[in-house]
Amino acid sequence: MISAFVVLVRIALRNLFASAINLVIGAIILFGTALVVVGGALLDSVDRAMSSSVIGSVAGHLQVYSAASRDELALYGDFGGEADLSPIQDFPKVKRALLSIEGVRKVVPMGINAALVASGNTVDLVLAELRELSNRKAKKETGLEGELEAQKQHVRQIIRVLRGDLEKSLAVMDKSAIEPEDLAALEQVSKDEFWAGFDRDPFGALEFLENRVAPQVSDADLLYLRYVGTDLGEFLRSFDRIRIVDGGPVPDGKRGFLFAKFFYEEGLKLKTARRLDKIHEALAQSGKKIAGDPVLERYVRENQSQTRDIVLQLGPEKTRLAIERLQRALLSKEQELSALLSSLFATDDSNFQERYRIFYEQVAPLLSLYRVRVGDTLTIKAFTRSGNVRSVNVKVYGTFAMEGLDKSPLAAAANLMDLMTFRDLYGFPSAETAEEISAMKAAAGAKEVDRSRAEEELFGGALVTQGSPVAIEESAVLGVRPRSRAEQLEDRVYTAEEIESGVVLNAAVLLDDAGRVPGVLRRIEELSGRERLGLKAVSWQKASGILGQMATAMKAALFFSAGIVFVIAMVIINNAMMMATLQRTQTIGTLRAIGAQRPFVLSMVLVETLVLGFLFGGGGALLGSLVMLLLGARGIPAFDDATYFFFSGPRLFPTLEVAQIAFALGIVTLVSIVSTLIPAVVATRVSPVVAMQAEE
Amino acid sequence: MRSNLALLSFAALAAPPAFGALGPEKMRGLLEEIDESQRNSGDYKALVYLEQREKDKTDVVRELLVYRRDEDDKLMLLFTKPKSESGKGYLRIDKNLWSYDPNVGKWERTTERERIGGTNSRRADFDESRLADEYDPSFASEGKLGNFEAVELKLTAKPNVDVAYPVVHLWVDKASHNVLKRQEFALSGKLLRTAYYPRWQKLFSPSKGTEVWVPQEIRIYDEVEKPNSTLVLIKSVDLNALGANLFTKAWLESKSR
Repeated sequence: MISAFVVLVRIALRNLFASAINLVIGAIILFGTALVVVGGALLDSVDRAMSSSVIGSVAGHLQVYSAASRDELALYGDFGGEADLSPIQDFPKVKRALLSIEGVRKVVPMGINAALVASGNTVDLVLAELRELSNRKAKKETGLEGELEAQKQHVRQIIRVLRGDLEKSLAVMDKSAIEPEDLAALEQVSKDEFWAGFDRDPFGALEFLENRVAPQVSDADLLYLRYVGTDLGEFLRSFDRIRIVDGGPVPDGKRGFLFAKFFYEEGLKLKTARRLDKIHEALAQSGKKIAGDPVLERYVRENQSQTRDIVLQLGPEKTRLAIERLQRALLSKEQELSALLSSLFATDDSNFQERYRIFYEQVAPLLSLYRVRVGDTLTIKAFTRSGNVRSVNVKVYGTFAMEGLDKSPLAAAANLMDLMTFRDLYGFPSAETAEEISAMKAAAGAKEVDRSRAEEELFGGALVTQGSPVAIEESAVLGVRPRSRAEQLEDRVYTAEEIESGVVLNAAVLLDDAGRVPGVLRRIEELSGRERLGLKAVSWQKASGILGQMATAMKAALFFSAGIVFVIAMVIINNAMMMATLQRTQTIGTLRAIGAQRPFVLSMVLVETLVLGFLFGGGGALLGSLVMLLLGARGIPAFDDATYFFFSGPRLFPTLEVAQIAFALGIVTLVSIVSTLIPAVVATRVSPVVAMQAEE
Repeated sequence: MRSNLALLSFAALAAPPAFGALGPEKMRGLLEEIDESQRNSGDYKALVYLEQREKDKTDVVRELLVYRRDEDDKLMLLFTKPKSESGKGYLRIDKNLWSYDPNVGKWERTTERERIGGTNSRRADFDESRLADEYDPSFASEGKLGNFEAVELKLTAKPNVDVAYPVVHLWVDKASHNVLKRQEFALSGKLLRTAYYPRWQKLFSPSKGTEVWVPQEIRIYDEVEKPNSTLVLIKSVDLNALGANLFTKAWLESKSR
């Protein structure tokens, strides 16, 4: 038996190099195997990178939330809105139960909501600072003179700029297009007498500036701020894809806010600086040119024409410094800052890098590049679940990025805040307030009206009554407001029990092994039913909504592409093997004529195929492995934001596993055998005489 | 001139069935009469109850003081109850509408579309009636509204006037010339709110030397989110003169210190 096999192998080896067609088939097998090795490894690497981006950023392997929720959990938003989730009942109990399941490593409490944050225009912001200083002075705080004077000078500088703008407008526009009240207000606040009287009545002067001058500037912003409230310490320890970019983490147990770096740059950075950054990125990373690129050309035009944000930010001293620096850098004698800035921003492919450097070295240090800076207090106003409007102040500790998702407008729009602040913005009225509201409703005694019959019910009786005015004393009706806790809240450190006891809308569940997801999902459902936890558990793909669907769709597309490559490779191998075998019909006929039995002929063909498959398939696997080694060492650069997401960062470093090589070899050999055996069986069934005459 | 127009419009209203034939001047006269009857030439202070009902949410209930100085178009709202809302407020000076929250100590510039206290009421629901200044009227229809004979006017916002609703339909009681119903539309023609004014009170104003009409109850129905509604009850009105420095940020801030 063994000797027969050895004979067959010898015949196979002799035939292998005797026939040119075998070498062609071998080359096809080699190429096909290499393709399967590289394609399979790349597919696995992209899938792993993409999944770990989402799992390691905010989703975890699983998410749990209340089964009583009206909507399904959507970690990255639900078409612009937020999912309406009911709070998880008794989170500490839920956490204990989840941690008892084998494979569950961490449970991180969360809640997601959004708010519109309005920031006044540039003048509003400067005047708010002046008002704050004036308030502090009115409370007899000393040592503020320097700051107050600088702020007043800044306002006066703004007024000079606004007057200059108005005069320019008057020169080119119809005078009737300009409101006379605006002009009169600017003239009044330009006078020295106005400022000489400022200290006598600072609040009167401020009211005039706030109501008559500030509305003339229209650069106010309205930000849609999305935030994930969580136990920040536990969150940062649990999610390995999060890294702090600016500032630092919020100290454990404290209230605080972290901006997503992408959101911070897009939403809060000075627009001119952001446009410069985008041009810089496009030139440096994507190899684009300004000339001929409509988007980059538009950025250049906007920067040249929109210099006002910068001009209004600078007080007289900083304006002087900026003019001096720009005159020196641009070798210009221009006296006006706005004209100098326009020249600075007149960029093209030849001067952009130099101008970019000048901006960041000479101008940026004089500016506030961000509307909210690290260390500032951010005021967030949101509608609570009960429909109330609630505002909170929270300190900004820094910015963070989620590796792989840091360029995704969807994922990187979510900022982080502590769970206590989240609850303040989300919460229901306290029991005391609910009782108070109940009493107010009873006292009002408003009658219930059926909306569908409102007109009959409301307009059936007398319309007009005679009354008499009464004296209303504020002190009698003004409720005593609870003392503000704002100052104490900032310094307070909350215990883990305090953080976990309260409203939690959803929780991320992190596992030891991603492969356990289906099993743990089942266990959570069983446990929830048994212990009446009222939980719904979903995989990270489902919880991630659009992003999860995108990842799944991308995975499917990758599988499909790899599948096509694989099928093409297999069809080529199959065709080549079939043709090669059919060409040997005459030889098979001769062998059969000289007494070779059918099984021997089939074994001979099969062994030849196996030898061919092992030799060239092995070569292909080796070639594929070398390619993967090279790609793994050098990395594949992401060429746009989509590939950045799929690669989970700027470069994908793919890896290769032994199983992928074995799979490629196995599948190529199997296809080769099937492709050979069918024509071989057909050939052995042909009568030897006919077979031997085949080419005659 | 204003009183002449008012007289003219009254004469026109008193002579049925001529509404359809009323020209723009006479319609404007009617609006001026509505504004004038609600205007107090001195100051105005009212204690107001505000209730917002929304589906699947707990009711929002507020009590607030409304301060008005019609002479120079000033308005201030100061929330008094519940305690957690006390000290919050709005201040309108010229074309600026500011909101203040003592919890964060910040002023915020808002717009005419601001939902007062998170309810479906707007600044204009508490302010002096300025229909003739803000809208151009035209005749729409006439008919019965409950027990009352009413005329329906279509009002279109004047150019460059910032109002919460660019198109308004107004039903006016033919007998008393009080507003009964108001429907507010977006520019697209979509109906946004319907408000009913089922109770009016006549008060003698010493500063005006005659009577002032004050709506005692306003029921606002959200036409976009159908189950939502807002109730405004004006519980008491004080027409005494207010302090000179009342309509300032400093005064409102001082109420929460």
